[in-house]
Amino acid sequence: MGDRVKTGRLRVPWKWLRRAAQLAFLFGFLWLFRKTESDGTGVIQFAANLLFRLDPLVAASAILAGKQFIALVWPALITIALTLVLGRFFCGWVCPLGTLLDMTRHLLPQRFQRSVRASALPLSHSPTPPSSASHFLHWRVAKFFLLGVVLVSAVFGLQLIGYVNPFSILVRGMAVAVDPWLNRGVTAPFTWLYKNAPESVTNVTEPVYEFLKAGVLPFQQNAFVWAGVSFAILLAVFALEGVERRFWCRNLCPSGALMGLMARFALLRRLPVRVCGNCKAAADCDEFCRMGAFDERERLIPESCNLCLDCVTDCPSGVARFGFRKTKAAPAPLEPSRRLFLASLATGVALPVIARAVGDGSRLPADLIRPPGARGEREFLDLCVRCAECMKVCPTNALQPALFETGVEGAFSPRFIAQLGYCEYNCTLCGQVCPTGAIRRLPLPEKQKFIMGKAVFDKDLCLPFAKGESCITCEEHCPLPEKAILFREAEAVVKKTGQCAMMKQPFTVLSLCTGCGICETKCPIEGKRGVRIVREETVPADVKKEYEELEKTNPRPAATQASERAAGY
Amino acid sequence: MNEMHADEQSSCPIFNRRQFIHRVAAWSAGAVAAPPLFRLVPQAMAAPGAQPLLAVAKGTDYEALLAKALEPLGGLPFIKKGARVLVKPNIGWDRTPEQAANTHPLLVKAMVKLCLAAGAGKVMVFDRTCNDCRLSYVSSGIQKAVQSITDPRVTCAFVDERKFVPVKIAKGKAMNEWEFYKDALDADCYINMPIAKHHRLAKLTLGLKNVMGLLGGKRGNIHQSLDQKIADLNTVMKPTLTVIDATRILLRNGPSGGKLDDVKELHTLVASTDTVATDAYATTLFDMKPDEIESTRCAAAMGLGEMDLNKVKIVKV
Repeated sequence: MGDRVKTGRLRVPWKWLRRAAQLAFLFGFLWLFRKTESDGTGVIQFAANLLFRLDPLVAASAILAGKQFIALVWPALITIALTLVLGRFFCGWVCPLGTLLDMTRHLLPQRFQRSVRASALPLSHSPTPPSSASHFLHWRVAKFFLLGVVLVSAVFGLQLIGYVNPFSILVRGMAVAVDPWLNRGVTAPFTWLYKNAPESVTNVTEPVYEFLKAGVLPFQQNAFVWAGVSFAILLAVFALEGVERRFWCRNLCPSGALMGLMARFALLRRLPVRVCGNCKAAADCDEFCRMGAFDERERLIPESCNLCLDCVTDCPSGVARFGFRKTKAAPAPLEPSRRLFLASLATGVALPVIARAVGDGSRLPADLIRPPGARGEREFLDLCVRCAECMKVCPTNALQPALFETGVEGAFSPRFIAQLGYCEYNCTLCGQVCPTGAIRRLPLPEKQKFIMGKAVFDKDLCLPFAKGESCITCEEHCPLPEKAILFREAEAVVKKTGQCAMMKQPFTVLSLCTGCGICETKCPIEGKRGVRIVREETVPADVKKEYEELEKTNPRPAATQASERAAGY
Repeated sequence: MNEMHADEQSSCPIFNRRQFIHRVAAWSAGAVAAPPLFRLVPQAMAAPGAQPLLAVAKGTDYEALLAKALEPLGGLPFIKKGARVLVKPNIGWDRTPEQAANTHPLLVKAMVKLCLAAGAGKVMVFDRTCNDCRLSYVSSGIQKAVQSITDPRVTCAFVDERKFVPVKIAKGKAMNEWEFYKDALDADCYINMPIAKHHRLAKLTLGLKNVMGLLGGKRGNIHQSLDQKIADLNTVMKPTLTVIDATRILLRNGPSGGKLDDVKELHTLVASTDTVATDAYATTLFDMKPDEIESTRCAAAMGLGEMDLNKVKIVKV
């Protein structure tokens, strides 16, 4: 304390400023996440996709893999510019995953944390530093390895960013698992009370429910296939916090690694560059550094420091500070070795080859439908960063994460499952929130004509064929102004009575059908539906021929005739 | 009317709040537990022999048109002070007013205002939509029109899936139970405001079919013997008043439409307390005979109203 007075400087509470900024950015992110939802206007003003567009690694990998300039990712330039001035500030001040890790680490069992630290943390400020052959020291360079693999694989046409990008892991985990589960968990008790409790109770609970529904919870209750997988990955990032503080950020995060490499050239530096050799206090920078940003010789590692400024605020002698002044003392040398570089290069080249050998994705399953506006399969996989924004925003919950249905490279990419939801005729939201343009932002008239697939009827299930029951619910819902489902009047056996009756039996006008899937979603048959969307190229030739014949013999009713007939008043 | 909706899971409670109260009351009285389902008595029907009155109004100022159509019927005499009124337009589709798939927003707004003026204590506007409800409420223009009336008694909320309760359809011939919306069952008056449209299965969708927007469950399952089921459902929710919006009608590609060539402007409203009569009359607007519509025949056969237009007193204004 005495030292502080002596310096005579007003000390800025940096640590608290940083915490305030972290909270502000976290709430901003959560707000954007909540806003990534239809409000009926057809436009998403704000979306959490901003996070992806700010990430230089997302930009780099999408541009390299897509072999094209992507204007959408321009905000990454802001991050690059700021990083070249401030260093890896993004990780300490902005990144919502980092903030959540900082906030939740206290939830881990303390004993577990302490024991791991005591046994594994080598970088204590002891008179005789332990040998540098510590296990966890080597983990630090893993992030550079991952960065290299992602970038090299991207060049060779394999997009891996979705598996290792912190925002992909965070947003996807939240969108497909945390958010829907939370919503169900919160609303379930209110629903139970609503249905079972006397009015004296619901008079209290219902206003609370209304408030939560209006401002906090998502509008729709989504459900996703493979939600547990994305959740497990997110959970693992949090669990690693038990091994070491900010384990993910220090050791694994490839986006942080890229920003770290830029940070080496940053103007802003911690001063002094070394942990003070004459530090009289018990406190000690490297022990408390959340990023472990000092090497064995107690020099600052610019690639690691995330400018949390704890060392400035907590320094008992008021020496530690950050400044733009050049110093003679050199920071720790660049850690990734040539061997590591070569290893990541080799892996980055090998993975695309292996992925192609395992499954080249050229023969997709008939029911593998991509979102409306999606680019060709190859280009789509190159650009998609697996952020799940499209799945979050889809108003009918039709977009679902794939696992390996589309080949080994397709994990977590969006697929359209018409049995669960359909593509709203007037909706372009998935194209609006895609951060890299893997799903193009088509103008509405173009999207309405975009062919996702074709509807094909299954005569073994469809009611007027299979059971002799009237239905054509599919025709009713077809959103095209000239309906793509027509029917023929034919005699069919009514299963219930054994008699014959005239039935309206539907067929598809293949030249019009866009595969929006509302027919499949609304088909009253449980489970496998009587009409299903398949990829256009997989419609069997005999079905095509049959539908064309039916169209000739069952023309649609003429318009003019009806208009003239209508009498009016 | 809501053609149907197939994707929602039916939220079938073992018993709901009202039944819970009934049960507690029954237990504490030492009586046998109340029956597990609603038993609703259909509202008293018009006395036999009385000639139903039907108003047909024409005009292009839609807000004034509604008042004009109601004039021969004596306005809204059935709305008692403080009554809970359900105004049920068709908001089924993500379509604009000129595409003629939903009830015209100005008519809905005018009706809500008239209800308030008549002393209604609560006016609820809703529909269980076929397309996404957010899109449908916005595109139809109805949400905005209703919300422009800044009155705490008016609500234009989305359907809450928790509020569907199973109801026995005692008079039903083709169905004997379905889930209905609780707010609709609790309403004192049910003002039915469909739009007249083409429909390839039912031929036309008019006043009787509009009840489907009050239903829960998988409505695709109603499409088998649809016409009789529509009549059955109307024994549970019998409109106090039906106003069919024929300001513009959809002649083809219904019920969702989407093509302006298929829309014909008639600037007409058909209003009556007898829904069967309104349907019968509205059918003639399409140059069809009332008995061509199977659901009208089924409902008339069940005594839900008069389909013989010679027996209906028609007032054209």
